[in-house]
Amino acid sequence: MGKYEGDPEWDDVVPIPQDDGEGALAQIAYTDEYAEAMGYLRAVMAAKEYSQRVLDLTEHIISMNAAHYTVWLYRASTIFALNADISQELNWINEVALDNQKNYQIWHHRQLLLDHLYPGISSDSAALQDLTESEIEFMTQMFDEDAKNYHVWSYRQYFVRKLNLFNDAELKSIETLLRTDIRNNSAWSHRFYVVFSDPKHSTSGSRATEHDPRIPDEIIDREIEFSKAATFEAPQNQSPWNYLRGVLRKGGRKLSSQECFANEFVKIPEDGEEDIRSSHALDFLADVWAEEGKTEKADEALRLLGDKYDRIRKNYWDWRRGMLKEDEVTKAVEKVELGQ
Amino acid sequence: MTVAMEEPKLDIERHIKYWQRCLKTLLPTQYTSTDSNRMMLGFFILSALDLLGTGADTFPEKDRRNIRDWILKCQHPNGGFCGSPNHRFPDAYYVDVGHGRQQMDPANLPATFFAILSLSFVGTLEQVRRDDCLKWLKTLQRDDGSFGELVTQDGAIEGGRDMRYCYIAAGVRWMLKGDTPPIGEDREGDIDLEKLVDHVRSGQTYDGGISESFQHEPHAGYTCCAISTLSIIHRLPISSLSGAEAPGLTNIPETIRWLVSRQVGYTEEGEEDEAETKTPARPVLQGVYENEPLVPGLSLQDVDFVGFNGRCNKSVDTCYAYWVTASLDMLGQDRAQLLNIKAARRFLLEQTQHRIGGFGKAPGNPPDIYHSYLGLAALAIMKEPGLKPFDSALCVGAQQKEMMELLREAALSR
Repeated sequence: MGKYEGDPEWDDVVPIPQDDGEGALAQIAYTDEYAEAMGYLRAVMAAKEYSQRVLDLTEHIISMNAAHYTVWLYRASTIFALNADISQELNWINEVALDNQKNYQIWHHRQLLLDHLYPGISSDSAALQDLTESEIEFMTQMFDEDAKNYHVWSYRQYFVRKLNLFNDAELKSIETLLRTDIRNNSAWSHRFYVVFSDPKHSTSGSRATEHDPRIPDEIIDREIEFSKAATFEAPQNQSPWNYLRGVLRKGGRKLSSQECFANEFVKIPEDGEEDIRSSHALDFLADVWAEEGKTEKADEALRLLGDKYDRIRKNYWDWRRGMLKEDEVTKAVEKVELGQ
Repeated sequence: MTVAMEEPKLDIERHIKYWQRCLKTLLPTQYTSTDSNRMMLGFFILSALDLLGTGADTFPEKDRRNIRDWILKCQHPNGGFCGSPNHRFPDAYYVDVGHGRQQMDPANLPATFFAILSLSFVGTLEQVRRDDCLKWLKTLQRDDGSFGELVTQDGAIEGGRDMRYCYIAAGVRWMLKGDTPPIGEDREGDIDLEKLVDHVRSGQTYDGGISESFQHEPHAGYTCCAISTLSIIHRLPISSLSGAEAPGLTNIPETIRWLVSRQVGYTEEGEEDEAETKTPARPVLQGVYENEPLVPGLSLQDVDFVGFNGRCNKSVDTCYAYWVTASLDMLGQDRAQLLNIKAARRFLLEQTQHRIGGFGKAPGNPPDIYHSYLGLAALAIMKEPGLKPFDSALCVGAQQKEMMELLREAALSR
């Protein structure tokens, strides 16, 4: 006899069995426990029952199939209908999240809970402070398990926006993560978000790939210095190189403004062996030199990348060399057409 | 170098066996956590067998009919499909008792996409409730142009604001001819295409990738879904029908740079991801092995395996071989050739291909349906002998895409 079938508390419920039919695709060897619980879930959903026993049932199903896309929604509806304690629910999903690192639904559920909770405490600064601390503490716990967990970062971004946490504390917490792992690209991305979407000094709706004239120069300078310091620590780490390019674009500055910096990692003497400490620096300089019209130098950088310093991408670097030549031809044709 | 190195082969027979086992026998209990995505798993099974040349066109008619019936049984009475029979209630429960037809467990967008694709292998689209489905599809779009995966009885759109649902919405719309409706059909019923393009464009990140939505970390899966979306609605800069429409990607060379950067040199000693280590930097360059001298002019031959990661500084995973290769494939003919195909192919065949058939997520992992399909699909884009040519935008064989074009016309003119 099944768990529910034998439980007097569920006597009044007639489960709705699953009908798979003959041609079922991807049929799974369900355990009896799972099949029974699902039958009871369908029955309570059909009856629109919102009760404590429904919370227990959904918890049971989530423990077996955390990716069930409606059991979570039904659980949220039940919580709200019962006016259940949200912080107790948050504590419960903390445990579930720690056990299911890759699950998305948990984080969506958490957002629903926050959206429900927030209007009631939005003018209570002490309550907001408590919420911020407990949420950040939990995310830190998740990051201890996996500092690049995509779902947690998505939630972090939501949380920053919701509670307007574009502040120094947020930047400091990113720096703490980067001190542990300077290659944590998730942390780099989050920093870009916190700095360049801060409503205090960014244009609302400015895209990540656009120049934003509202960003003050000192912030652009600060971020350039931040990425440079990280690059000195690990020159072959692509994250700060990408970040630098992004910051320059936000600031409307040319790549060539950082030529000296990139040259710290690239020495190509007229004669003798070159000394390259970062393929990303070479890539950066290839773009700088192309920007400055120094096609031959750019081509040599791309050749070195394909032949020697980043051989696994040789096809790509060769393609870039071809593009460089095409650009040169296009420019020459334009000159002729303009009669120069 | 012309050393006759033995190149690994795709073991077609074993893959066929693997997929037939998936088709005919119960999946192990561990798949319970994917119970809500059975429609997707079903599609992978049918499409993998098709790529291997033993698709549903070779099944007995009775089996085809049973599969067709099963898929249609998952159709939601209000339009769209459910992800599994576990989400589909008996018909009587949906009856209108005075407040409109009951939603019960609502239809699911990915399930709908995979159900329609799967139907194309075993029959026609004539029994898809097209008008209801397109009407429902429109209700899934948010004001910012993104799509949810389901809409509840009270109209709330649920699910992440990410590129997967954009792609799947564009695909469903195309398969049901919502993009080119018959003359006389109300265009008001269509989704807001401009908002969709705008949402995809705003997902571009500072490093050239594409993220789940604005200003989050770029991810190869989302990048591929974004590019597929634009490909299906003809809004890639290379496919724009006219210069008047805003393209969905603003800097293709940056996107290509980001995509090729997903390649990671892999060595069997378990050093697959030098970048993942937390120790301070060593002066070792990506793609160059520590123990080999940096001699100029060395060819690619010395790199044995190239895997793919989904984000900067992450570990390799079979599925990203697909997401990256497919992305480049859609960005122009032969763009996938910018990758190190030879070493990538070797990685899939020697490191993640499993001896019982299928592919695992990472070297040494057991095969699973998701990674097995995407591993096969990646090889198909790389033009692996023995596999049918592939259509990256729809994620099926190229012939199947042609079949779908015929079926969608036929369904409308019935």
